[in-house]
Amino acid sequence: MSRYVIQFYKDGNMRYISHLDLLRLFKRTFKRTGIRLIYSQGFNPHPRMSFVQPLSLGYASDKEYLDFETTEQLDCREIISRLNGAMPAGVGIIGCRELPPTKRTLAALVEYAVYEASFELSEPIPWREKLEEFLAQEQILVEKKQKKTGKLVEQDIRPMILKVEPLERSKNNDKYISLTLLTCAGSNRNLNPETLLSAFCSFCGLSYAAETASIRRKELYCGGQNGRDGLVSVMEYTPQNH
Amino acid sequence: MTWNEQLDKLLRRVEKPARYIGGELYSVEKDPGSVATRFGFAFPDTYEIGMSYLGLQIIYHVLNGMESVYCERVFAPAQDMEALMRAENMPLFTLETKTPLTEMDIVGFTLQYELSFTNIVNMLDLAGIPILSSDRKEGDPFVAAGGPCAYNPEPLAPVLDFVMLGDGEDSLREVCAAHEEWKASGAPRTAFLETICRIPGIYVPAFYEPVYDEEGSFSHMNKLFDAAPDTVEKRIVEDLNAADFPEKNIVPLIDVVHDRAVVEIFRGCTRGCRFCQAGMIYRPVRERSKERIKELAKSQIEATGYDEMSILSLSTSDHSEIEPLVTELMEMCRSNNVALSLPSLRLDSFSFKVLQEIQGYKKSGLTFAPEAGSQRLRDVINKNITEKDIYSAMEQAIELGWTGVKLYFMVGLPTETFEDLDGIVEIAGGIMEIARRAGGGKRGRFNVTVSVSNFVPKAHTPFQWCAQDTEESFEEKHLYLKDKLKKIKGVSFHYHGTHTSHLEAVFARGDRRVCQVLLKAWELGCKFDGWSEYFNYQLWQEAFRLTGISSDEYALRTIDPAAPLPWDHLSCSVSKKFFQMEWDRAQKEETTHDCRHGCVGCGVNSRTKCQREGTL
Repeated sequence: MSRYVIQFYKDGNMRYISHLDLLRLFKRTFKRTGIRLIYSQGFNPHPRMSFVQPLSLGYASDKEYLDFETTEQLDCREIISRLNGAMPAGVGIIGCRELPPTKRTLAALVEYAVYEASFELSEPIPWREKLEEFLAQEQILVEKKQKKTGKLVEQDIRPMILKVEPLERSKNNDKYISLTLLTCAGSNRNLNPETLLSAFCSFCGLSYAAETASIRRKELYCGGQNGRDGLVSVMEYTPQNH
Repeated sequence: MTWNEQLDKLLRRVEKPARYIGGELYSVEKDPGSVATRFGFAFPDTYEIGMSYLGLQIIYHVLNGMESVYCERVFAPAQDMEALMRAENMPLFTLETKTPLTEMDIVGFTLQYELSFTNIVNMLDLAGIPILSSDRKEGDPFVAAGGPCAYNPEPLAPVLDFVMLGDGEDSLREVCAAHEEWKASGAPRTAFLETICRIPGIYVPAFYEPVYDEEGSFSHMNKLFDAAPDTVEKRIVEDLNAADFPEKNIVPLIDVVHDRAVVEIFRGCTRGCRFCQAGMIYRPVRERSKERIKELAKSQIEATGYDEMSILSLSTSDHSEIEPLVTELMEMCRSNNVALSLPSLRLDSFSFKVLQEIQGYKKSGLTFAPEAGSQRLRDVINKNITEKDIYSAMEQAIELGWTGVKLYFMVGLPTETFEDLDGIVEIAGGIMEIARRAGGGKRGRFNVTVSVSNFVPKAHTPFQWCAQDTEESFEEKHLYLKDKLKKIKGVSFHYHGTHTSHLEAVFARGDRRVCQVLLKAWELGCKFDGWSEYFNYQLWQEAFRLTGISSDEYALRTIDPAAPLPWDHLSCSVSKKFFQMEWDRAQKEETTHDCRHGCVGCGVNSRTKCQREGTL
């Protein structure tokens, strides 16, 4: 029994398949390659594999991660080439690493995500200054629907925004915004990038035009480890037992 | 904005955008510039329905197997996507290369059910292809159709340039080869139709003009092109073992209705149920051998990575090697961690043994289709199933731990009386009684679901001359059953809406004039009529009123068997004489045996050898 994490991109038309579709795609792709996964016990066995952090439908990603267990030990390069040989265009494996067989999944350890987001404002405004004002606020309150009750509750998203910076390509443009965002992500605290974008638009007195937005996840990070501060890419993080 | 950016803008705003992206495993990429014929295979319903249809996979495989052809897929966009496409002036496009349908050489629709006809009109409109064949000009695609409803395509005749009857494997290749030649010749549009109408199985509606008598009844077809055949006979693929069959099925990226490996084990049926169009038009039975089925199943499973597989036919248990076949498939599936599903099994002791093995604790529903409640009526429709069959199967099922059964019946069958309906109630009650006895006087958890559909007379069946019940009569029968069945604890009752059944009958037996209603209904906004959430009967009634066409005239009329029928020039190779003989026997409550006990004279063996004739 061995455990691995693979790093892959999801791009092009594959942006439009959901988290569950992607799970099914990997399940079938593994089956086609003949790489045997460990299955759960019980009436409805399913393979032991999990994505580190779900990606919203419509987003592209440069670096996604899947954590899985196989019945036999395999060479990482072989895993990459066998999966890539059986995967349709739009999803490609770029890295693979063996993990120690701890109980802790990487999904439980992710803390931050970096996104690039571009969208169109409904009218041109000096948005760079607005952005500074927006981020200078102590609190940024947004309304969030509670999953269970469906009630609207106010939530302060300011603590989940670590960094927002305009990208070079939108430098001299008052209508098209391109930003890089560093936000909290994971099972503990998670900020959907579009919640931030739409909060910024309403701060500017505009409405957020989701259909113009193109969002790409650049990377997922865990917090510091072994006395190291800052962000550690999921690819470099080694989960340990407590 | 590029095409892709424009499409992205739409896809961000619709539900299930992956319906429109293509790019699935084994979808085919070709250079469109390198082929002579671009074929748009069009399914007039959503992606999830169309991708569950095996015929699509077969045709896609056959056509793309030709170097000179590129077959791409197109489905009916859902309402949200359609609204955006219309608002943004985006024409209907193929999934593979996102090419507008107008750039296809041939657009071929599959006609699986009558209520998808408005979607065909709507898809042509969305594509910007003229809806009527008479309005199409040089350079426009040819619009074709095939599938079961193509045996009476008259309600769509003004829309279609040509129709393909029967198995498509060979005729599609021949049509495409003819198209390549025609294209190279630079001849006008009509020259292509004049050529292909000589290919067996090809019907060009424009070469036939219906003539009606003074009372407005259909009289005959007036042939407008001499070389067109008087009667178009369906195509028959004789040897299924040699026929092309996909091993690398397109594997959808999103959840579709049937998302699994599937092998067709035979075509046709020998049973001869008199209401059943499939049982007539797909004759004779042609089996795929056990070895070939296993070979195809194995390569499909390996190529697709599916964890479920199914076998397909009109009546699984009738395959001559069914027991070893199922046993060996079970073995293969087990060793590959694949779940095997076996639809339309007859419930005999072998089936129970198999179901017990493949389902274990997780027992899926059992189904039974007696179709009629009394032996008398089952004899009329030639459904050879007895009450004893049902009860003894249920005894076994209950003993083995099944907790429910679903029973399918039809109402409105010819000669039906309320006594026949009482038979439905008796069967449901009888099964509950067996369950009670087995449970030591208690019903336990056992449930019976009675599901009732409405009889629709179909062209090319012994019941093609029968009147359908009026909607009032259907409703009365539904209420009668509802009232009686609700008194039996543990029985639930479902029935089918009457409006759609009435419309189905209009189209199933319609002539060319019915096309006006179809076009009018579409203009008024009808589409996705098979979806209860979109079906709008008031608009249909309005369409009948505005065109002055009476739906009752088509659905409720008893046709004189001596009268000419609007589909007489199209033949499924079962003779009209046989249908008439069967209709006579039905009225006399006489059954006709399964032709595995000996030929019953349907006529199809004048075209081909019946492999299963007289083998029982």
